[in-house]
Amino acid sequence: MLLLDIRNLTLELETSQGLIRAVDRVSLSLREGEIRGLVGESGSGKSLIAKAIVGVLNQRWRIKADRFHWCGVDLLQLPYDQQRKIIGRDIAMIYQEPSKCLDPTALIAEQLHESIPNQLLKGGWWNRTREKRKKAIALLHKVGIKEHQSVLESYPYQLSEGVCQKVMIAMAIAKNPKLLIADEPTTALEASTQAQLFRLISSLNQLKGMSVLLISNELDSIARYTHRLSVLYCGQLVESGETAKLLAQPFHPYTNALIKSVPEFQPELVPKSQLYALPGSIPTLQHLPVGCRLGPRCPNARKECVHTPALERKQHHFYSCHFPLQYKESE
Amino acid sequence: MIWHYLIRRLFLLSFVFFALTCFAFSLGHLFPGDPLVNFSGISQPDDELLPVLVQQYRLDDGYLQQYIAFLQRILQGDWGLSLASQQPVLFELTQVFPATLELVAYALLISFVLGVPLGLLAAIKASHWSGRVISTIALLGYSLPIFWWALLMIMLFSIGLGWFPTSGRISVLYEIPSVTGFMLPDILLSGQTYWQAAFQDAIRHLWLPAFVLATYPTTVMIRFTRDAMLNVWQQSYIKTARAKGLSRSQVLYRHGLRNAMLPVMRQLGLQFSTLVTLAMISELIFSWPGIGLWLLDSISQRNYPAIQGGLLVISSLVILVNILMDVLHTLFNPLARKQANG
Repeated sequence: MLLLDIRNLTLELETSQGLIRAVDRVSLSLREGEIRGLVGESGSGKSLIAKAIVGVLNQRWRIKADRFHWCGVDLLQLPYDQQRKIIGRDIAMIYQEPSKCLDPTALIAEQLHESIPNQLLKGGWWNRTREKRKKAIALLHKVGIKEHQSVLESYPYQLSEGVCQKVMIAMAIAKNPKLLIADEPTTALEASTQAQLFRLISSLNQLKGMSVLLISNELDSIARYTHRLSVLYCGQLVESGETAKLLAQPFHPYTNALIKSVPEFQPELVPKSQLYALPGSIPTLQHLPVGCRLGPRCPNARKECVHTPALERKQHHFYSCHFPLQYKESE
Repeated sequence: MIWHYLIRRLFLLSFVFFALTCFAFSLGHLFPGDPLVNFSGISQPDDELLPVLVQQYRLDDGYLQQYIAFLQRILQGDWGLSLASQQPVLFELTQVFPATLELVAYALLISFVLGVPLGLLAAIKASHWSGRVISTIALLGYSLPIFWWALLMIMLFSIGLGWFPTSGRISVLYEIPSVTGFMLPDILLSGQTYWQAAFQDAIRHLWLPAFVLATYPTTVMIRFTRDAMLNVWQQSYIKTARAKGLSRSQVLYRHGLRNAMLPVMRQLGLQFSTLVTLAMISELIFSWPGIGLWLLDSISQRNYPAIQGGLLVISSLVILVNILMDVLHTLFNPLARKQANG
């Protein structure tokens, strides 16, 4: 069953220069128990989509979607309170800078306690505190923190970024969410902690069947842990499909460029040769090109590219390009 | 760790007091007239007393010895006599100082009770009309000159409507012995048969000066609470708390309020000196028998020992409150604690 089913999500921001469409008709669907990667450069709208799903987007943004289903319920049709209730129950999110996402004046114990919903506790209110404490310790053990005593009695500034992120994950999984959204969870961490965290997330996925939406700007770091990938460019969905197939045979020139720019994906690369990159750089949000937004930078662009290509499907592989790569060979 | 910080604050406090006593001491010499009279408050010492005083104040020795003698007298409670009434300055201070403290305390209480919720409301409804109205009123109250505002209030409520008396702490009808120096507890402690009537009368006297004095701190409180709350509301940990599934009021209460009140608390310490100045003005207007009125009288009477004493007491109060607020801020804010240690 589809957990999350979004069709043509559009996010627009009203500014003095006019309406800016930061996310343009992106579709995203997530099955239960899968790890989905969302890849794109900074400014491609990955975080916006995540915030829109969790419902913490700033009020200046306009959200439109043909379909915004969570477990078969259209969230956008629901009144605000119910929307918050469902999201609060089922979806958890962790962010880029964990130390800034923890309240600086509250102990870790307090913050962990309040993320454990009362419905999950068995006893009456009189031993709720003790139960919550037990549960908090168990959560910390689950995310791989052994010194629960000292961590619980610390303030966020006393902990390293890696431990803070683990605490964030502990808070996120406290309510047994169906979906965990990880918005660039490892950018502030060192390399060894990064790998630790990814392993933690994928083990949570395997053991608890929790779906994960993993957002990153580094294709190589998340490719190993994800089942499926969606690639974004400037707010448009470029390509999505199973990770292995997508990496082996990209249809979209942007995905192709993304893969070719990472040496790890090309074993036969000659030493000291130049890495492949598209010319130019990403346009600013105020000067987005019409049609396919990759147009001006695309090596295969033709006249038709001024119209936005529709999302096309080939088995489980979606792409939006008028002139897909390797199309002929695969036919 | 925290002890280091407290000891450092205590050091600061002692240095400030040292500077303050130096200044107060030098006033005795800087004021026109005989330093002996300025220090002792005895305007015409006779021939028997004169050598005793010179000996006691060590006026024949250097300034350092004089300063040490001055410090000893201050610590022993011998603050000289008031030139105007020939009563000990310290005794007069104990009579007037509690009245000021009482007024300031009630004004601060009003500002807390009104200012914090209104500031929060203004922050939460920042773009709503109610938020704008609160902000506008706060700006207006902030910029009102207190003497004019006080006169307006007297004209409206005392003269126009006749609800409140214009001056004093309590009607002369009631005889309340001074135990603590604070009027309301004194009435409760007095055990007189008319204590209820006296209590009501004291409240009626208190209303107008406390309200006028509270205008400034309340508006300051509204503005700072609003700004701090708007700032905190943008932080990531608020978004995290929202994403946890906490409701708006839970987030506000558990994460917003504490973080927003920290800078407000610090500002309050800094604004306290302004508040004391304003208290002196409102005491003058409402004939409130506090230290402000007493000090202003002393200044116009060239009552140098009294000026010296009043200055010492008021400055000490402001400094103490400042440092106390700083210490409290550090105790409540883990981040400041980190900086204090580091």
